[in-house]
Amino acid sequence: MFADFFYTCKAKGLSITLGEWLTLHEALDKGLAGSSLTQFYYLARTILVKSETDFDKFDMAFEECFRGVQSENEVTAQMLKWLDKPEMAELLHQEEKRWLNQIEEIKVDKEDVEEKFKQRLKDQDSEHNGGSYWIGTMGKTSFGNTGGNVGGVRVGGTTGYQSAFAVIGARKYRDFRDDRMLDNRQFQMALRRLRHFSTKLDVPKTELDINGTIDKTCNNGGCLQIVMEKPRKNAVKLLLLMDSGGTMIPFSNLLNELFQAVNKSNHYKDVKTYYFHNCIYSKLYKTPECENGDWVDTEWVFRNLDSDYKVIVVGDAAMAPEELYSESGNYRGPNGGLSGMQWLQLLKRHYKKIVWLNPKMAPGHAPWREAETAIKEIFPMYKLTVEGLNQAMTTLMTNKSR
Amino acid sequence: MNQAAFGSTKEYVASKQLLASVNVAVALEKPLLIKGEPGTGKTMLAQAVANSLGKKLLIWNIKSTTKAQDGLYMYDTIKRLYDGQFGEEGVEDISRYIKLGKLGEAFESPEQVVLLIDEIDKADLEFPNDLLWELDQMEFYIHETKRTVKAKKRPIVIITSNAEKELPDAFLRRCIFHYIDFPDRDLMEEIVRVHYPDVEANLLKEAMDIFYEIRSLRDIRKKPSTSELIDWVNALQIGGIPAEQIKKAIPFIGVIVKKDEDLETVRNKVVY
Repeated sequence: MFADFFYTCKAKGLSITLGEWLTLHEALDKGLAGSSLTQFYYLARTILVKSETDFDKFDMAFEECFRGVQSENEVTAQMLKWLDKPEMAELLHQEEKRWLNQIEEIKVDKEDVEEKFKQRLKDQDSEHNGGSYWIGTMGKTSFGNTGGNVGGVRVGGTTGYQSAFAVIGARKYRDFRDDRMLDNRQFQMALRRLRHFSTKLDVPKTELDINGTIDKTCNNGGCLQIVMEKPRKNAVKLLLLMDSGGTMIPFSNLLNELFQAVNKSNHYKDVKTYYFHNCIYSKLYKTPECENGDWVDTEWVFRNLDSDYKVIVVGDAAMAPEELYSESGNYRGPNGGLSGMQWLQLLKRHYKKIVWLNPKMAPGHAPWREAETAIKEIFPMYKLTVEGLNQAMTTLMTNKSR
Repeated sequence: MNQAAFGSTKEYVASKQLLASVNVAVALEKPLLIKGEPGTGKTMLAQAVANSLGKKLLIWNIKSTTKAQDGLYMYDTIKRLYDGQFGEEGVEDISRYIKLGKLGEAFESPEQVVLLIDEIDKADLEFPNDLLWELDQMEFYIHETKRTVKAKKRPIVIITSNAEKELPDAFLRRCIFHYIDFPDRDLMEEIVRVHYPDVEANLLKEAMDIFYEIRSLRDIRKKPSTSELIDWVNALQIGGIPAEQIKKAIPFIGVIVKKDEDLETVRNKVVY
């Protein structure tokens, strides 16, 4: 009887199975909801939703079905792409104070803004940044993101100011969908692919060797003699290099999740993590803060971590051209006489297996991202999603070199 | 099937939704999965449910090395082998070497019990998946003795998780889920009063002011939890700290703030 509700929940991205749906009906049959809508709400939520992160989706579905409220502001994927500009946040920072002073004076009527927003969604056909009419970043219209207008509708991107009336299409919860990025379990499952079992490790013999025991016992005239063996252990060694530059700040949560997942996956023989700022030069930092002095020589790493280490580089590959090609392009630390590009080449030469994970990789061929394109030439690059990570792990485990 | 419903007990204060979830889980005979911030009383819930319904409580504590098999049964092969060597009596009876785990115990119990599977997320990623059949059908098979252990009375299963690891979907589908929200001030006051009925009103108010303020600080790394507040109130009482001193000095701050960085933050930001 609530079939509509079922499909609305599905449409909002809740993965409800028929089994759970039938359970809800069973519960209703038993009269567990009484005759109250509130009780029904909690009953349905407790049976259908299995994570607090999905509560919001459920609320939306519930409201739509039982209050008839509908939102028609569909934001197209193309438009979200134009607005995907985390780097604008840095620029914005400088302007922030100036704008904040003006906030009090601005008053906007919500209905009016939404009306205009729908109209403009229809009309707009290209990307706009910094303008004062179209939907784009860094602008002064009421629409788009990272803008200075404080009473408008935010479209995608990450929150700069908090006061946008409605976060239309912010898609806060997309991380939990199919192309989800933030799910620690998914990360861990992907990292499990990095396995290479070996018994040649130096560990105590803790497992009962049944065949050995039978042999020995037989040779011993039936008198029991127990034989133990070494457990099979993963022999994979991992070197994780993470970009901790300014443009990576919007992704710090994501990197944190990945880092946690790697650390929790305690089945590796060894895991080493170092950080770099924008590009790899002669020093690698020990902490994400990238403080001068708190580093090791990149060549020391090459010497001490042999070529069997599998290397995962995480970074947005958004260096300025001089950061990549100039021999004095490192504006934070020493260059070591080589350009960033040459250091990357050295890295490639030293390690057999390297992948690059990029949290904001452009889909397909993106020649306007010069550094990204150049690095793709050297390393196989994958987007930092669960799917991308899976592909990357497969690449790391396959035997043929690129 | 008209069972006594679970209600708040003298020792445990539960929100309405939580009571409803427990009763739904009992009525539908499905495991109840409880998530929530540390220190919101997930583990205590099972005890309260057991007390309230007058049932026995079995606790299966999960550790990182726990295997699903541990909860069902263990077959002590090596002991049997050695016994065989020395010609002990009854070696041919395998069942002497089979020991039931907590889940097996719960199944074999002649009356209904409450089974708490505590901190299921501590175990290996695949652990919950290995229990799907057993929790669904409430039975398992002992290969060595060709015996099926089937629940005489379906136990009430309560599972807690700290969200350290995400649980597999197949497992989640079979559970009733409840997320314990962090208690608001009113509920919190009730909870503290359950533990210390005659705490001075002023002292409690001041302590809660500080407590919620610390929790609201953005850069706090480890937010203080309910159980820590309870401990703190106790410490303040025992120390005989007058209410008006609390905000000035924040005595015994170590009870609620456990990290150096957080101590620093609190000192800088919580000023009266």
